[in-house]
Parts: sequence; structure tokens; C-alpha cells
Amino acid sequence: MEKLTFPIKYSYLNNMKKILIAIPLLFLAKLNYAQDLVKKIPANAFTVATIKGDNVFKLMFVKDFNESFVGKKLLTETSKSLDKNFTSIEDFGINLENNMYYFNQLSDSITYNCFLIPIKDATKFENLVNDKDKKIRTDGDVKTMILPDSTGLIKWNNRMMYFVTGSIRSSFFADSAKSAKYGIKEIRYQNNYDETAMVDGVATVTTDSAMVSTAEPMVEVIAPPAAEGWTVYPPINKQTINKSKAGTKKNPKKKAAKKSTAKKKSAVKPKKTTRTRKSDINVPADDNFTTTGSEADSVATAISADDQYDEYQKERAEQDARKKQLAFVWMSAQADKIFNSNYESIENNKSYSASLDNKAIAELWVSSIQDAYNSIAPEFGTYGRSGILKGYGSLNAKLYMDKTSFRISTGLELAKEQADAYKKIMNRKLNKKFLKYVNSDKAIGFMGYSIDTKAYLEEFPKLMKQTYGSFLGKNMEEEIELGTDLFSLLLDEEAVSQVIKGDALFVINGLSTKDVTYTTYDYDDDYNRKEVTKTKKETLPDFLFMFSSEDNRLMNKLIKYGINKNYVTVNDNIYKIEEKKSPVDIYFMIKDGIVFFGNSFAELQSISNNSFNSAISKTHKNLLAKNNFSFLFNAKNLVGKVPTEEIGGEETAKKFNETLGKMGNVYMKSNPVKGNVVSADISAEIPNGHENALKYLFSLIENAAK
Amino acid sequence: MNPKQFYKLLLFIFLIPMLSSCFEVIEEITMRNNGTGDVILTINLSQSKTKVASVMLLDSVQGYKVPSKQKIQQELGEAVAYLKKSEGISNVKSTSDFNNYIATISFTFKDVSNINNITKNILAQQKIKAANTSSYSFNKATKTFTRKYQAVATAKTEFNKLKSKDKAVFNGANYTSIYRFESPVISTTNSASNLSKSKKAVMLKSSIMDLINGKINVSNQIQLSK
Repeated sequence: MEKLTFPIKYSYLNNMKKILIAIPLLFLAKLNYAQDLVKKIPANAFTVATIKGDNVFKLMFVKDFNESFVGKKLLTETSKSLDKNFTSIEDFGINLENNMYYFNQLSDSITYNCFLIPIKDATKFENLVNDKDKKIRTDGDVKTMILPDSTGLIKWNNRMMYFVTGSIRSSFFADSAKSAKYGIKEIRYQNNYDETAMVDGVATVTTDSAMVSTAEPMVEVIAPPAAEGWTVYPPINKQTINKSKAGTKKNPKKKAAKKSTAKKKSAVKPKKTTRTRKSDINVPADDNFTTTGSEADSVATAISADDQYDEYQKERAEQDARKKQLAFVWMSAQADKIFNSNYESIENNKSYSASLDNKAIAELWVSSIQDAYNSIAPEFGTYGRSGILKGYGSLNAKLYMDKTSFRISTGLELAKEQADAYKKIMNRKLNKKFLKYVNSDKAIGFMGYSIDTKAYLEEFPKLMKQTYGSFLGKNMEEEIELGTDLFSLLLDEEAVSQVIKGDALFVINGLSTKDVTYTTYDYDDDYNRKEVTKTKKETLPDFLFMFSSEDNRLMNKLIKYGINKNYVTVNDNIYKIEEKKSPVDIYFMIKDGIVFFGNSFAELQSISNNSFNSAISKTHKNLLAKNNFSFLFNAKNLVGKVPTEEIGGEETAKKFNETLGKMGNVYMKSNPVKGNVVSADISAEIPNGHENALKYLFSLIENAAK
Repeated sequence: MNPKQFYKLLLFIFLIPMLSSCFEVIEEITMRNNGTGDVILTINLSQSKTKVASVMLLDSVQGYKVPSKQKIQQELGEAVAYLKKSEGISNVKSTSDFNNYIATISFTFKDVSNINNITKNILAQQKIKAANTSSYSFNKATKTFTRKYQAVATAKTEFNKLKSKDKAVFNGANYTSIYRFESPVISTTNSASNLSKSKKAVMLKSSIMDLINGKINVSNQIQLSK
């Protein structure tokens, strides 16, 4: 109101105030933002897994963690193996309040597995990894340690730690044209050695200090192919760094932090940077190969023809070593990029950012199920065909823990067509009448599902075609089309959907005790044995299975047939299946458009004469009625219900009941298709007396380890 | 019975039940004064038939593969074939009832020590060095029937290695031995054994757990009237 009265002055002041408040806020936000290492994950990362340190340590203070069984074990084991003394996980130097990431990058030639861990105290972290035998190289504030055998490397500065391992894909180097490009060749006896020269350029990359000093320009020539699509935007000024090895020229425009790194790298970088401008880094240029080739000519001529066989064997081993070295060179370059260049981060990926949830403790995101399959398909040889699983997009999973439960929520992105098909199929709710037959007070568990049979039968062939179509090969498409049509022709979807509507419920409404006969022996005065039949009590779960069916003609015909053949007997409209192999009796009946199956005659009778004691709780009702798929297991309703002698003695029974008593409800449900995403949740409630799910988990681990 | 079959039979016993089950093993020996006699071995799982029937529907339970009915019958047939070839053994028969889950093997021996050879062979094939932990003998002259038994120490340690779930299988299991004679029994050395009213039979009942743990000893020396 005041604003209206003194509009100019007040609004001005207000704005000023706002700006003044906003600046530090923005600054803070920016800082926080910048600290999150997600920015460092390239946009083409294939899988991203996150552990959210702040959410984890909200549930369990660092101090509690250190004192927990798991924490103590971790600390003592680490201390022991490194011969150091750690008393807190904070001694590792990791920033526990920030997110830790794992990601991988796939290409046709190499797969990188990478970890990005926020660092709080680099000195402490160094203490953790440092070892007499390992050399740490320092480039300004960036330190690098190479893993034994050059299988990976760790790079860190004051802010983050990056760990990468790479594995070369054998399928890539099976292609001689491609492998020759990288100085690897397929070794066959009688191979001529003309190309050795080319190979040598790479071979000079020694495993230990590969990345900088010796590799010289070759490192850059063999730019990692994983960079495909990973656009690198090197600071323009960087390109002015000349080829002088020492890199004495400092780049004034670069941040101090990066400057020295860049400087040292400059011995390696010059060609790369120029190339980056030309061709986005990933295309090796031939002119470079020729240069190195000529350098190594002498090596080639040194090999005499007589030694060829020995050489052949040596070469084979060497080629493997070269591949490994090549992998290392690529890894080094990739790690450099993570530290030194700007590129589009995964944050800009819509699917990724949509999958995030602040409340989750851990998250997993896989960019595309279809691509995941296609990327491994070549490894299967002729069996692996790309194109399968078409239409399956990104997958995500999130883990939540809170005061009452664990929950895992998963989502799968579908192509629009698929999503539409699923929407049609899932356009059915569970028959409301089913709910009458759940007794929540006694129910040990249930599982309900509902789909639209008609839609399912109509969509099924299409989905199959889409999912597996290319598996059968392109020239099979007509046949698939034909098969699909035949399927539709033979099946009257409408008619089938009248017999089996597509919703069903399986419920175990508690246990009941039955008399069971068995054979044993009595002995006469001479201890001659006589077979006798005795009875004993046996406690068995009462299961009830029901599905909706509007057209009972087929069922009735089947029943009639069964009765004629003595497979089925009838009593009070309740049919019994006469099958000796079955450990329990199975009864069934049809009522109100529902087909019931169960092992308790009494239960079916009560349904038949409308005396079933219906007592479904609101939660159970919602769970069943609102979801296409739901599952519940309530162990508590099982506690003390099984007689001790049937479990096998008091001790076993006690343990059995204790375990069950500790279990909360476990349930699963599918969610409706939202947009193009199908999703499902699994939750497990934790028992009373535990602060939260994480602490409960720790106590479980501790108990299991004892 | 070759070692593999023996092992499978053992497994079959292990498998039978989830949690626990009741089953009985009965060993009956009818001794004649001339030293010959008959043996009937019975495994009766009837008390656990619901569980057994359930398990039979599964492929495997608690990590053990469930043998099919055909497989069990085949193994039983092979056991019979082995016995038929054994020295002093004749009239070998077997029955199997898959409604009540009862199986028996019966045979006639020339001398009760023939049984020892069978056990010995099985043990030898299994490469178990537990020499003569159990043996039978009958002295025609003194009319003394002797059953020697020593709890196999390794049995207990092996048993203790089992998961508690698997151990529970034996909780309700019983072992019964019955020895029948033509002449009345004068004395028995095992106080746990009972003499029949007719005085011509001796019975000993024990839980299989006690047997494995060595809590009960089934050794007995039975003196018949001369």
C-alpha cells in the first residue's frame, strides 16, 4: 500500500534493497552451483550415478557414521591397508556435503569409467592416496597420479578429484582400417612391416610418464574418439601458446588455477588446440602420421626378414601393449579436458535434468536403453543386431530414505508411439468388486494388476515388432507384418477380452490350519510294524486368486469337460481340481463375473454365500485401486501364526518370528504413464524404534556381519 | 549305490523340506539262528508330504537341485542293481510311493557281516577314512548279535558347517532300528533299547540330531538264549 502512496521513492529503495540482498544471495547460489561437479560431466555421458552427500549426512551425522559398525570397519581397514591412522571419514579429504558422481562415456573404440568426487581438503586426500611407490605429478594446482600398469589415473585439485579408467573395445580394432589409423594393426604371420613406422609413434609413449613429456605431438594426433559430439570450447587465447616445449609464455587471460596446468600441458597441447578449431578434436590428421612415420623409418628397415616369425609373436604382445598405451593416452587427454576445458555439461540434457529430485539420496540415469543395447551389440557378433529395443529411451532410478521407509523409484522413457500403446494398455482399473475380498487385518500379501486385454492384444504385435523387429533382420519385415496380421485375424481381441478382461488379484488372507493325514507305523508285541494312518495339523496360507470374466461360456464348457473326465468334482457350486501332484487342494468357482481360485474351501464358500468378512484398509484400497500394478507383503501378519513345531523347534521359531517382526510393509506399485515416462516405486517400511532408514540399514548390515 | 548316488540320496534328504520336516528312517533286521536274515530299510516322508510335494514342483530349493520323480526312481533302481551284485546279498527289492513319499529297499543276506561290506564299499568309494564306525556281527556259537557304532566325528563337524536353515531339516527326523530274532533275548547292553513283549525283538528309537551329535549311541550287544 505504501508503495502506491510513494511509488517512486519506495520502489526505488525497494529495488535497491532487493539488489543489495540479491547480490550476495546470487553470489552464494552461484558458488554453490559452481561447486557441484555435475558441470564437469560431459553432455554425452552415457550413465550418471550420483550419491548426494548432503542428503546422506543429514540422516546420519559424520560422527555417527564414524562410530557405526560400517564406518569403523571402513576406517580401520583403510588405516590398516595404507598403514596410516584415520579416525574419521573426514580424514579422507572428501567434501561430504556435496554430490559425488560416477559417469561413463562410450564410443566405438573406448569406454571410460569416471568418478568425480568433491574435495574439501586436498592435503588430506593426498595423504589418502599417497604412497611411497606412487609418483604424483604436479601441474600447478592439479596433481596427477597414474595407477600401476597405467590402467587409470587420478587427477585432483583443491576442489575435485577425478578418477578415470578406460577400456579399449576389441571390436573396434578388429577393423584394420580403423586400427591402422591409431597405429594398431592386426597381426598375422607374413604381415609386412611397412606400417611399423606408424605404430612407433604410439609405442614411444611410455606407460609411466606417457601423458606429457615423451608423447609429444602424437598424443594429440590420436585424439580420443569418445570426444565425438563432445564439443570442446578451448579458450581462444590458448591457441596462441606456441610449440615451445617449456611453455614459458604464460597466458594472462587464463585463471590462475588453470594457467599453470595449461602451461605445462603446452608441451603437448599446441597441435591439439589448433586442431580443435578445425575439426572438433576427434579426427586424426594424416599429415601428422606421415611426419612421425618418417622419423621411425629406421626402425622399420632394421627388421630383417629372417626374424619375421619371432617378430610376429613379439608383435602380437606389443600390439596389446600398444592398445593399452593408446587407451592410456586417450584417458589422459580425456582427464585433461575435464580439468582444463569448457564443454557442454550433462545439465543441459533435458532427460537428465528431468530425472533429478532434490530429496533423493542417490540417483542413477542411463541415457538410452536402446543405445545401451546397441553399444554392446557388436560384441555379440552376428547375434547382436542393432535396432533392437527401439523406442526405449532413458532409464532413471532414485533412492530415497526417510524416517519411515526406503523407496526406490524408477522411470523409463519411451518413444511416443510406445508410450501411447502403454497408455492404451494401462487404461483399466482393477475390478472394484475384488476389493471386497481383501482382509487387511489378516492379509499377508497381495498382488493386483489390471490391463486392458483388448488393447494389449491389439498393441502387442506392434510392440513386438518395434522391440524385436530388427532382430530378425530387414528382409523379414514382410513376414513380421504377415505374422502380426495373422495374430489379429486369429484372435478376436474383443471376444478374448470378454473372457479375460485383464484385471486380476492374488491375495493371501492369512493362514489356516488343516488336518492332514500321513502314514506312519505302529509296532506289535513282536515289534512287527503295521502301517497306520494318522492325522496332524498343518498351517498353510490361504490364497485366493480372482480375475474378471464377462463371458463364461468357455469356462463352463471347460468345467463340463473336466467333470466328464473326472478332472473336476463339484460341491455346492464350488469346483475342486482333482490333481494328486498338487500339494494343496485347489477349488474354483464363478460368481458375479469373477472367476475365483483358492485353496480354502471355507473361504470360497463364504464368498459364494456372501458371508465373506471384508475389511480392507484405506491404504490397501488405494494401493490396489489406483495403480495398474501393486504388490504388498506384510510380514507382521505372519508373526506367531505358524505353530512352533511346524517351523522346527522353538529356537528356529523365535528367530523366524523375530525376523518377520522386524520387517515393515514392503510394497510396489506402478504409476500412470506420465508424458512418455512409465515408472514404478518399491518401498519398504522400516520397523519402529529406528530413527531413519539409513540408520536402520546400518544396523542391518551390522547384524548380518555378526 | 555309488558315491554319487549316495550323495544324491543324502541331498534328497536335505532338500525335502523348507524350514523343517518330520521324516523317519527305519532299519529292520530279522536274524535267523543260522546266521542268515533279512533287512528292510525305509525312508518315510509322509508326515511332510505337503512340503515335499511343494518342493517337487520346484527346480531347486535352498540351493539344492530337486530331483524329479523319474530321477529318484532311477537312483533307487541303480541302488538295487548295486546290491544285487554284492556278495552274500540276494532277493533285493525296492518300493517307492510318490503319494505318501515312502521308499523302501529290502534284501536277504547270507551273513549279517555282508551289510558291513556294503557300508565299507560306500565309504571307500566316498574316500572317507572313517573305518568301521558301524558294523554288525552274529556269533552263531554264542548266539550274540553285536551292533557296533561310533558317532563319526567328521559327521558332526560337517553337519555344523551346514546353514542353520539346512540343519533345521533334521529337527523332526527320527531313526528307528529293530532287530528281530528266532530265540528270546536274554540281555542287551544298550539301556536306550527296548525289548518287545515277546522278548524276541529289540527296538531303539532316536532322533537323527542326537545321532549326528553323538548324544546317543546305537551300539548294542544282544545276547540270545542258547
